[in-house]
Order: sequence, then C-alpha cells, then structure tokens
Amino acid sequence: MLFPTIDFALFFAIAFTVNWLLNPYAGWWKLSMVGLSYVFYGWVGWSYCLLLLTTTVVAFAGGAWVHVRRDERTRRIAMGVSVGVLLAILGWFKYYGFVSVNLDNLTHAVGAGRAVPLLQVALPIAISFFTFMAISYVVDIYRRELEPAKPLDFAVYISFFPHLLAGPIVRGTELLPQIRRRRDPNSIDYSRAFWLILAGLFKKVVISSYVSGAIVTPVFTSPTQHSAPEAIFAAWGYAVQIYCDFSGYTDIAIGLAMLLGFRFPQNFDAPYTARNLQDFWRRWHMTLSRWLRDYLYIPLGGSANGQAQTLRNIMITMVLGGLWHGAAWTFVIWGALQGIGQCFGHVRRTVRERRGLPGVADGPVRVWVQRFFTFQFVCLGWVFFNATGTSQAFSVIGRVFSGWGEASPLITPLLVITVFGTLASQFVPPLRIDRLQAAFSRQRTAVQVGLLGFALLGITTFGPVGVAPFIYYRF
Amino acid sequence: MSEPTPPHHVEWESPEEFAARPHAELAAPPDGRVRLPWTRVLALAVAAFALWFLLYAPTLQHNAQVSPVGTRRTISLDVTGPVAAISRALQLSHVVSITGRSNGLSGGSTGLTVVGPHAGGQPAKAPPPRTGGTAPTTPTTVPPDPKNPTAANPLRVLIVGDSIGIDLGDALQPNLANTGVVSAALDGRVSTGLTRPDYFNWPAELTADLKAQNPQVVVVMIGANDAQDFLGPPDVPYTSPQWNTLYAQRVAQFMQIAGSGGATVVWVGMPPMQNAGLNAQMSDVNAVVQQQAVKAKPPVIYLSTDHTLGTPQGGYTPFVTNGAGQVVNVRTPDGTHITPGGGQVVSQQVIAELQSLGYKI
Repeated sequence: MLFPTIDFALFFAIAFTVNWLLNPYAGWWKLSMVGLSYVFYGWVGWSYCLLLLTTTVVAFAGGAWVHVRRDERTRRIAMGVSVGVLLAILGWFKYYGFVSVNLDNLTHAVGAGRAVPLLQVALPIAISFFTFMAISYVVDIYRRELEPAKPLDFAVYISFFPHLLAGPIVRGTELLPQIRRRRDPNSIDYSRAFWLILAGLFKKVVISSYVSGAIVTPVFTSPTQHSAPEAIFAAWGYAVQIYCDFSGYTDIAIGLAMLLGFRFPQNFDAPYTARNLQDFWRRWHMTLSRWLRDYLYIPLGGSANGQAQTLRNIMITMVLGGLWHGAAWTFVIWGALQGIGQCFGHVRRTVRERRGLPGVADGPVRVWVQRFFTFQFVCLGWVFFNATGTSQAFSVIGRVFSGWGEASPLITPLLVITVFGTLASQFVPPLRIDRLQAAFSRQRTAVQVGLLGFALLGITTFGPVGVAPFIYYRF
Repeated sequence: MSEPTPPHHVEWESPEEFAARPHAELAAPPDGRVRLPWTRVLALAVAAFALWFLLYAPTLQHNAQVSPVGTRRTISLDVTGPVAAISRALQLSHVVSITGRSNGLSGGSTGLTVVGPHAGGQPAKAPPPRTGGTAPTTPTTVPPDPKNPTAANPLRVLIVGDSIGIDLGDALQPNLANTGVVSAALDGRVSTGLTRPDYFNWPAELTADLKAQNPQVVVVMIGANDAQDFLGPPDVPYTSPQWNTLYAQRVAQFMQIAGSGGATVVWVGMPPMQNAGLNAQMSDVNAVVQQQAVKAKPPVIYLSTDHTLGTPQGGYTPFVTNGAGQVVNVRTPDGTHITPGGGQVVSQQVIAELQSLGYKI
C-alpha cells in the first residue's frame, strides 16, 4: 500500500482508531497491530506475507537460541546460523537472478556449461529493510544489548506498518520498549506529526515528481541528445528527486508513528549541507549508516587495526552497502565511489592531524568549497545509482564534457528555482520549523482544519495524477 | 540491562489504574507545542480530510470515471458523485481551477519527446506544446529519399505505446537517434490503450503527434491494457462476441491514422505473458492486430515478439540469449513488462526490420 493514496488514508483512519481504542488492552492491541500491518503489506500480494512471517519466525527463534546458550562458542554459532539463514532468504530473493546471469555469462565465455539454473525470482518489497531489522535483533541479543522479546511484541516490532516498507531501520532497543508500554492517549504531538506528513507528501508528490519528469527522466533516457548543462542539471535534479522521495517517505513514516504514539529515529539531517563524504553518511539514511557501522564495519575491525585495514573495511562496507540497494553493477560502482570518497577523507584527515592541524579545515569560504565539492561527488554517485546500466551512466557523464554549446531548453526558470530552492531549504534552521509547528498548534480548530485541508489540496493539485512508487520501495 | 524509557510514555496498565493515576506527562512540554487527545486529533484530521474531499471531489470523480471498470470504480463513483455535485453547486470546484493544473508542476505523462538530428543537422528538441484533435497535415518538407536519410535530411520516426511500448521506446529511441540519421520521437502513456478513449484518446493523440512530427515511420506497441470492457452505452464486455469486432474497428482506425501521412507503420505485438490469463488475452489482442495489419491499405508490418522475447515455442521466459550469445534478463519480475535489456532485444528487431525494408540506418 502506498502512503500517498486514498486507500492508505482510509486504512490509516481505521488503524489510528483501532490503535487508540485498544490501547488499554495490551494483547488485543498487539494482535490488532500485527493484523493491520499484514493487511498493509499484503495489499500488493498476499504471498509476501508468508515471507514476512518466515523472517519473523527465523529471527525470533534465532534470538531465543542465542539467548539460551551459555558458552560463547555456541552463542556465536547460534547467532551465525540465524543471521546466515536470514541472509540466505534475502540473497535468494534479491541476488539470485543477478548472480546466476553473470555466472552463466562467465561460464559461457570460458566455454563451460551452465553453472546454475536461470530463474527469475520476484523481489518482495521491503525485504531488505525487515531483514536488516531482524539481523540487528539477533545480533543485539548475542551482544547482550537486548533481552529476547515476547513473540507478539517481536511480531509487532518487525511488521509495524509505518516503518515496514522503507524504514527507518528501527532497532529492537528503540522500538521494543515502546511496544511493551502503553502509550499516552491524551498527549499526541499532532502539530509535528501533521507537519511531517504534509511536508513528506509535498516533497514526494510535488517536488520529486516534477523534477523527475522535467529533467531527470528525459536526460537519463537519451543522454546523447542533451546538452552539458542539461546533463549537470539532471544529476543535480536526481539528487533533489531522491532526497525528496526518500526523506519524504521517512517524514510520513515518522509522522504516522507519532500519531500512533511512537517515536522513530531521525533518518535525514540536511544531507546536502555535508562537508565531506563521512559527514554526508552521518546525515543521509542515518539508520542504514549506523546499521552498516555497527553490524558490518565494526565487526570487520573498524578503524582499530591501522590505516590499511581501516580503508579496506570502509571499502567493503560501502560496496556491500551499495549492493544492499540492488543487485546491479551500477550499485556496486555507486558503493565503491562512496568508499573511495570516504577513504580519501580518512587519509586527508590523518595527514592533517599528523601535521597538528584540525582534521577538517575551517573558515567560511573553505566550508562552502567543501560543501560544493562534496555535493558534486555525491551527484556523480547518483548518476550511477539512477542509471539503468553503466553505459547509460557513462553516457550522462560524457555529456558533461562534450555537450557544451548546445541549447538547453529543459532548464527552465521553474526547474532552477525548484532545484536550488530545495537545496537551500536544507539550510533552514530546525528551530524555525519548530516555531511554525508551535504556532499552528495554538490556532483555533477551524483555522487548523482550513490550513490542513488547503495544504492537502495544494499537494494533490500541484502533483501528478497517480503517484509513482517510492524509489526505496524496490530496495 | 536497562532500557531507556521513551518520553511521554506510561507503563502498560488497566484502564482503571490509568484513570486513577495523576498524569504529569499531560502537561504541555516546554517546546511550546500544544498536545491533544487522540479523539480530537482524529476529529481534526477527519474535518480537514472532509474539506479537502469537498474541494477536490470533481477531480476525484473524473479520476474514478476514467479508471478500469470494476467494483472499485463503481464504489468510487458512488462516493465521489454526490460530493462532487455539492462541490459544483457551491462553486467550490473553482478553487481547484484557480490553483490549476496549468502551473507547470503537474507532470506524470510522458508526452512527446524528440531526439536525434532534424533537417539542417542540429539536434532536435521537443516541439512546442500543442493541443490535440486536429487532422494530420500533408508533409511540406519531404526528404529526397526517406530510405537514404542523412543528418541534414533525417528519417523521422514516431514511436507510440503504452507502458510496454515505453519499455521498447526507451531503448529504440536512443538507438535510432544514435545512428545520426534518424529523428526519433516517443509518445508513451502508461495504463492506456484503445478500448478506453474516455481515459486516454489515442486516436486524437496520434493525430496530434503526426501533425507535430510528420513521421515517415510509425512504430506502435499498444495492447497490454486493452483486454477490458468497452464502455457504452451500451457496454460491450470483453468476453462478448462483439468485443473482437469493435476492437478490430479501433485497431483499423488507429492503423489508418498512423499511415494517413504516407508513413510506413510497424506494429509490434505484445510479448508472451507469465500469467496464463493475461497471456491468453494478449494472444486475442495480437490476433486481431495481425488480421487488421493484413487488411490495412497499405499493409501494416506486424512484428511478433513471441520468439524474440519468448521460448522457441512462443511461451513466456524471463531470459533469452541475445545476438552476442549472452544471456539477458528480458522481463521484469511482474511477468508483464520488459526490462531495459529486453527493450534492446526488441529494438534491434525493429531496426533490423526497417533495414530489411530498405531504410539505410
């Protein structure tokens, strides 16, 4: 079920009412949330619910197995087997097709027979997200950072519909305590929740859709037929599109959870104000970044074993992070670019610190220069992220160098205002937005109804008929 | 281990215990934002939604009218109809008209995009906006020989289609443009077909495209959404015997318009589908198109994709081996659409067909 649809609005009206009516009755509330979440997930295909249930059972059993074992060796084996099974499920659905086609072409090239059967496995939406949450649960129990949950609590944790399709990737330590407690029905932070939902809808339905149709899709479809400025604006435009798409989804998810009495972790923090790649990854898809840090980078050794191993660990983490997004060489290159950028920053910081200088140079001009180059590097990565293949990506990049002196009719004043306006909005202090929310919450009810109704009208009027699925749904 | 207590949460307890306990957390937090009980939040949201619904009902009613026939459409019309009537009676629908869809932000449709050289040797760009519905004009600038195009006198190709046509067009358009001697235009519209002109009027759209692009070759790939009832009155159900007759008329009309400017018309058939029901429906659609292609004057070239995107027996397969001997995933996991790799395979098939017709591209 897509958030920006009438279907979901009706679904949420029911879910919201059921949530608060059953709030005093723990068992019924949990059962109802699991049921509603499975309806939400099964809306696009009921067979996927079986996969969600399987992942839930495997992770729950894995967590219990790890917990009952006393000696460290068998605990590690239990954790490894459980995580392995979860990764095998993910691998089958997400990577089998990619691996089998590439393996087949490799064996064909060397004159060998077919290594594995060619099968097209349908990719269930959200599998990457709930698998990562399931893995973090098992590993947190292994690390003794989390007690095993009750079965129903765990089922709510994994399937809770506000985060189910595209995150944020909420950890057991964050969500399970909230599930175990009754929420206060008399203190809903509705002004912030409505702001997040409407801002998310505006970003997704209006900005992301417009930029996609106005520049990104035309240029990426036929890069050689567009000028260098159009290719540059397409890359910048995609940076705006994917930010508005994904952060828009996250804002809606956090706002919906807030209306149900839950707090989700922040997932974006003005990522295009970042001064280097490390800073960018602290601000972009923050819940994935910290997952990769805590469950991949640190177990690999992190930065504890010298510079060479640190750089190796960064590269492994970012390339696998790229592959998490999708089974394609474009995502591998995108991940590698993120790794190279971070390695460069790491080496630079180390060199500066050896010279007794601060790790990152300061001063207003330097800060803006750092932001400018970081953004351009991020956009270079986005070209691969959005391209259907490496040849298309290189074609777009090639136009940046070869397409000068041609007309650029796609770069309209409205597009320029939209792209730069969205980027500039990242520099708006959060305090001003807080004040706006507070001012809204103090208005009379009739004024609030009018503001909300007309905001919704503006979004639906300025947006296209029918909204494309969120980009991150396919991950 | 201790778990952090989320703010504004209370321990789970019975309703009686909850009511008996003083609730310090109900006091307004120091951030200046007022909190409300859930019943008031629900009332506020429902009122705002109702206001939006009242203002937007005419648009919602229109969207329901052009949606696929079925229970969902019936319920949508039943719900939006009375509210839209009230909205119109109160003149509220003008609010939407004022904010308008002419603001330039409402995307969603692919429209006509043109790439490749145009007469004079410069890259072509999208033509100026147009309003459809007029008859095609007679070509005013005909290259000496369309089968020997040059950068100065490129071959003009128009590709039209539904979402599967877009899958083909996304590969075919740049491939043709990259020859340097073809100006390729693509007009793709998702969820469209020939059975529901109330939703999207392809004959009018094609007429406008012909006027704008004046093509010498028209490539059509439409049909994936066509196995549905014709809306009347009287309605003609897909399963009725009259459906084939009516659909054949629509296809014949579309072929006639496509070829009316003297263009060579190439109609690419629907590929085999994974879903058996949809596959049978597409076989029906392809059969009608094939029959009308033969009857058209001059004949329309029908290109079957049963083998290029299917098994040697014409069945569904997600993988085929391309000309270079590489295995290519040609179908998306929905078992209906074509991947970029599949688009390349059909694109090469179309280009080979054009070359066999004597077009030196």
